[in-house]
Amino acid sequence: MKKALILLGCPESPSQTPLAVYVTYKLKKMGYDVTTASTPSAMKLLEVGDPEGYYIKNKIDIESCIDKLDKGAFDLLIGFIHRDAAVSYFVTFNSILDTTSIAIIFEKDVEKLEEFQNMVSESTDATIVSARAFHNPTPLRVRFDKTIKKLIESGEI
Amino acid sequence: MFCLETYLQESEDYDVLISRAGFKECARVIDENAPEVIHVKPGEKILGARIIGIPPVSVGINEEKGTILFPYTKPCYGTAVVEIPVEAEEIAKIRKLNIN
Repeated sequence: MKKALILLGCPESPSQTPLAVYVTYKLKKMGYDVTTASTPSAMKLLEVGDPEGYYIKNKIDIESCIDKLDKGAFDLLIGFIHRDAAVSYFVTFNSILDTTSIAIIFEKDVEKLEEFQNMVSESTDATIVSARAFHNPTPLRVRFDKTIKKLIESGEI
Repeated sequence: MFCLETYLQESEDYDVLISRAGFKECARVIDENAPEVIHVKPGEKILGARIIGIPPVSVGINEEKGTILFPYTKPCYGTAVVEIPVEAEEIAKIRKLNIN
């Protein structure tokens, strides 16, 4: 079974939690064994929204798991990015895992959004899914679906 | 085994040069404050902990003081630059990680 790792940043953006559940649902349907790495606060939001762990099964702490991570441990990396620190974490996980990666970048501020996109594209080969978003996850969900479809058609995932 | 997280919680023998900042700003602080700067790949282990950042990650060395300066990123609090004392042999190990 192929393995995917989802990285969640600070949970202050309302779009992150529902999208994380959606991305997990999507990946599970594609046959991935999904692990979610996050801060304790981001995980608490997921656990309240998914009380029986129907979607979110494998959970790890984003800070402590990185020391044990090795190249090839996951077949797919998906990172949620709406802060400078999340860019740093995504780029670092990408560098360690050296695997197919998707960066989901969202911000209210257009300049910051562009800055985060540039930082990711200059440092990784990750496919970028981005939108100006805060409360509404729909633009990101639609773009994520299109990206997944393209990656499947091209045989990248 | 040395644990950076525990060290920062329990020791007072370190300096924070900047905190709650962006990664690029922290890289500039290291470049401006360290007599010697090496660059490492993100994810390299320094003092047993993986360095988080955007490549090339600046790590400062002050051999005279016996300290290193490095970025320290927390997901909800941004990046800080921490200066901590290290043994000479650790400095030698860190220099070997240089990608310049």
